[in-house]
Amino acid sequence: MKKCKPLSILLVISSLMAGCASSSEMESIDSNPQQTITISGAWALYPMMVRWAEEFHTTYPQVEFDISAGGAGKGMVDALAGAVDIGMVSRKIYQEEIEKGAFWVSVTRDAVFVTVNELNPVLDELRSQGISQETLVGIYITGEITTWGQVVGQLEIQDPVNVYTRSDAAGAPATFAEYLGKNQEDLLGIGVYGDPGVLDAVIKDPLGIGYNNLTYAFDASSGKPVQGAFVVPLDVNANGIMDPEEWFETKGQAVQAVAGGYYPAPPARDLNLVTLGKPTGVVRDFIEWVLTDGQGYVNEVGYIGLSREQLQMELTKIE
Amino acid sequence: MAQEEFIPQLLNRNKKRNHPFGLTRRVKDVLAGRVMGVLSLFAALLVPLIAVILFTRARPIFSAKPLTELLFSRTWHPISGAFGFYPFIQGTLWVTSISMILAIPPSLLTAIYLSEYATPKVRAYIKPLIDLLAGVPSVVYGVWGMLTVVPFVGKFIAPLLTKTLGFIPLFQTDNPTGFSLLAGGLVLGVMVSPIIIAMSTEVFTAVPQGLREASLALGATRWHTVKHVVARRALPGIIAAVVLGFSRAFGETMAVLMVVGNVPQVPSSIFDPGYPLTALIANNYGEMMSIPMYDSALLCAAFILLMVVLVFNLISRLVLLRLTRSI
Repeated sequence: MKKCKPLSILLVISSLMAGCASSSEMESIDSNPQQTITISGAWALYPMMVRWAEEFHTTYPQVEFDISAGGAGKGMVDALAGAVDIGMVSRKIYQEEIEKGAFWVSVTRDAVFVTVNELNPVLDELRSQGISQETLVGIYITGEITTWGQVVGQLEIQDPVNVYTRSDAAGAPATFAEYLGKNQEDLLGIGVYGDPGVLDAVIKDPLGIGYNNLTYAFDASSGKPVQGAFVVPLDVNANGIMDPEEWFETKGQAVQAVAGGYYPAPPARDLNLVTLGKPTGVVRDFIEWVLTDGQGYVNEVGYIGLSREQLQMELTKIE
Repeated sequence: MAQEEFIPQLLNRNKKRNHPFGLTRRVKDVLAGRVMGVLSLFAALLVPLIAVILFTRARPIFSAKPLTELLFSRTWHPISGAFGFYPFIQGTLWVTSISMILAIPPSLLTAIYLSEYATPKVRAYIKPLIDLLAGVPSVVYGVWGMLTVVPFVGKFIAPLLTKTLGFIPLFQTDNPTGFSLLAGGLVLGVMVSPIIIAMSTEVFTAVPQGLREASLALGATRWHTVKHVVARRALPGIIAAVVLGFSRAFGETMAVLMVVGNVPQVPSSIFDPGYPLTALIANNYGEMMSIPMYDSALLCAAFILLMVVLVFNLISRLVLLRLTRSI
């Protein structure tokens, strides 16, 4: 314990100094001595938000955070009901929600990736051909494609496709369904709860297909797809071959494909912070910090940053 | 005589001794009674209160759609305004029935063993372990179900039963994944059995020892005694235990939701995926705000769930009443 003391004093001093340094910009933080920002919503944004809150709290120790995850829909409901200051929403904002007073700022990007088991009978073909939007529609919407042979154009392969989808209403299925031109309730397949649930089902089933967010599809430490799973690249131009710009195998390459716009949006999408009406006071200051200094942590945590122009645009929204 | 004199004396003495506090004592007593009465009244009024609130929130959908369509339509497509709860009601009934069929016989046999056959020492070891099962959080059961029950059903039970009993529609399947009504029923069965076991063990133990002795003295075996004396006497209690287990199974959400497959279709086989009412509410609560009428549809689902549980409780009360009268 004794050893800790000088260190903690140092921490306090340094954070105080850091607070002083930028006090001119953030007036509303200094005018109120102790404040708490409450946040709830999307799992997709939760790890990033925790990191942002930590960093912001070190700089401005008088601001406390209360963050809970519970899905994009909960974030939206809570924010519109005034139960939290900020809702994390990992899908686009619907017209009905805007009418109810939802104000949003995009802060990072994420993408949904198609995952299959690494023992898939046509893994080599999937690797060299990718999977096209049309094929996915056949699997997930119309249900016309039922065997893996149909997926890769080798009709003699009769292994059935076991389709998994998300049971809970969330950003990932909404975005994936939007890519296929429909809504989440139109997606066929066995409904499994949560992002890790779908991934687990795919890892256990050699004939399974599912979809996952970036942070779940790829292993955080190795950057490869999670053990037992294979992330299928999209055949964007539907020419039946993996073109070099469509191809990716590691998390880094996937991030680049999304950031460079080679991976289509949707299934790539912006992650949003939603407030009831235009944010004011310390909430506004925090969002501004997220769009400026906070962007420095985005790649480190494993998210995809917004382009400089888009960040500028988002900043003007809260001016 | 002596007693009659003694009591006023005692009261007088109390009055004298605690004179300054005598009044507060009585006020305290009255106050405590009132407070506890209000609390009990509040607790008793909670269910009607919840029902009223659910009903008022669900009203838009009741006025927009006829009740028969809500209850018996098979199409669930909120974005195009189709709210048929039939697949969900069916899902709930299937999962609950499967779990009860699986849970009741072994639970009752366990309870009989514990109360009639087991030595006190064995009972002292086994009983707390079973009670422990009741305290496991449902999400833990759900994770366990996903990791073990679902693959077990998909890779073992489904192929086996389809091969041997596939001519019966109930055991046919085109769903090889294991996420199925049977998986939900199995998990639920494990969850409700400690409740049924604990309660029916109590009921069996409460049967007077004299009855058993009379039966045994007539030369009956222990099993005879259980079958003709103990079980008969304990029947109302057993029914109460089963109803309690049933209510628990009916309302369970998280564990079922994680293994049952969540496909809104009317099931025809125990290997089909299903979608219980509870899972519908839990899965979609987050999206209530975005689609018109969705929130009142979900609250309507909650209202239906509450009503079904109430009706079942009522029926079981009536059955119990008749049984206890006839014994």
